[in-house]
Amino acid sequence: MFILEACVFAVIFIGFFGIIFKQNVIMKILAMDVMSTGAIAYYIVVAARGGIFAPIQGEIVGRAYADPVPQAVILTGIVIGFSIQALMLVGVMKLARNNPTLEAREIERNNTPWM
Amino acid sequence: MDVMASLTIIWLILPFMVGFSIYLLPRWNRYFAVAIAALSVLYGCGQFFGWEPFSLTLTDSFGVTLMFDQLTSYFILMNGLVTAAVILYCFDKQKSPFFYTQLVILHGVVNAAFCCADLISLYVALETLGVAAFLLITYPRSDRSLWVGLRYLFVSNTAMLFYLIGTALVYQANHSFAFSGLATAPREAIALIFLGLLTKGGIFISGLWLPLTHGESETPISALFSGVVVKAGVFPLVRCALLVPELEPLVRLFGVGTVLLGVIYAIFEQDTKRLLAFSSISQLGFVLAAPAVGGFYALTHGLVKASLFLTAGQLPSRNFRELCSQSMPRVFWWVLVLACASMSGLPFLAGYSSKILTMQNLLPWQVWVLNIAAVGTAIAFAKFIFLPCQAQPDLQLKPNLYWAIGVLLGSLFVANSFYLEAYQPSNLLKALVTTGAGWLAYGLIFRGLTVKLPRMFEEFEHLIGVMSLVLTGLFWMVLV
Repeated sequence: MFILEACVFAVIFIGFFGIIFKQNVIMKILAMDVMSTGAIAYYIVVAARGGIFAPIQGEIVGRAYADPVPQAVILTGIVIGFSIQALMLVGVMKLARNNPTLEAREIERNNTPWM
Repeated sequence: MDVMASLTIIWLILPFMVGFSIYLLPRWNRYFAVAIAALSVLYGCGQFFGWEPFSLTLTDSFGVTLMFDQLTSYFILMNGLVTAAVILYCFDKQKSPFFYTQLVILHGVVNAAFCCADLISLYVALETLGVAAFLLITYPRSDRSLWVGLRYLFVSNTAMLFYLIGTALVYQANHSFAFSGLATAPREAIALIFLGLLTKGGIFISGLWLPLTHGESETPISALFSGVVVKAGVFPLVRCALLVPELEPLVRLFGVGTVLLGVIYAIFEQDTKRLLAFSSISQLGFVLAAPAVGGFYALTHGLVKASLFLTAGQLPSRNFRELCSQSMPRVFWWVLVLACASMSGLPFLAGYSSKILTMQNLLPWQVWVLNIAAVGTAIAFAKFIFLPCQAQPDLQLKPNLYWAIGVLLGSLFVANSFYLEAYQPSNLLKALVTTGAGWLAYGLIFRGLTVKLPRMFEEFEHLIGVMSLVLTGLFWMVLV
């Protein structure tokens, strides 16, 4: 369990530092996706604290069930995350017409009034 | 009670239904949008004057709750009034149905954010708000607006991911998502959740994304953002401070920090819209500095800031130096003077009573700092008041601009009645001395001063990098 949690946090950190260190805007968006994958995985880990058996109504009793609530909640998070990424990629497609290299610093220099 | 609950749910859902239906009725979209905003004003008034505070629990036992009380009603009133004014301002601007759809949906989402009393419905509200805000920022479709919007979405989404991790920790500790669970949650959860809310609400150094975003958006959008949208991030902080007493010192501390940061930047700013944006960063601090009475301050700030942004959009230039050399029409000057007087805390508009109320609810260590900051606010807004103006009889103004400004300033005047106890000789004298000192300092020192503060920290990569610093700082604060 501890190893699993450490891996999940490692994914979150890799994503976060990817947003900072990657130059290309698309890579930044992908890094953000990696980070949100980490956050989603963390919810799954939290749900599996009490057990990993799927909580489906049936005959079997006395099994260690997974908690359904975090899983249900993070579904919303997944949907929100991917819709935001889709929206951002559309924005980047439009930007690509005038900034073919898609380097964040270049785009920022061209579109910030004082730079 | 059941009637109340049904009415509330209808009022919450209606903006989304109407927002999507507006597409089918392109000729009527503006009127529907105004009606939705007016409905929120009515609901806010009802909440404010008549109804008992109540809460709605949505699912069985996971703490997903909507909470309605006096505090909520201030924010809902503000949202309704500012949205109505912004739509009136856009009446003759030939905006597409898409614009009004996003505007109404944004209005609904902000209303929802002001009612949340649990972490997960707040998360959904804030993320949806981010999407609607992005679509409004990028409405002109220019490269610059696209970049500003992308930058906003990047920063807010990254901050909300940290918030989400914090939410998981709170759930793990309490098996509930309610705000009150922060009291028994691990300390790290508080740090992660605060990072999300501070960034979303434009507080302290987490709020440095705000000046460019609010400065480069179109006039009505800037007014809406600075007036209402950032407060969706501030409101939960106020709510948490009231529900969990251990958090109150932290919230008050960030309030004082952001007041100072915003005021210092605002004093030295040479661009009208950026000055207003920095002033937003600082004014939000007054809301956090005394959470118990933050609602009234938020209401008055929203009304004033929206009217200032709408007027600044009408001026011939955005640069103060150019405005000094060319006179603006006198009618705009009067609006600016009224709004800036309210912002500086001069009597007869609600800015005065809300400032007095906040100042009376401060802790001893905050009083000095915020009094100095109030002088700083007066210095910053003296820049607007002492601009030259002249009568321009041939100026053709659209009546809807009068309507928009009239709604905002009229409400400011009426809101005075919420706290009439503020009108006492000692308070009046203090307000006059504070503003007088500010104007004097402006005339003697700051008028001829040109200091360029570094803008490096507003670059995109620094905004993301600062999150790690703020998070480290927060960990350190909550663990001590």
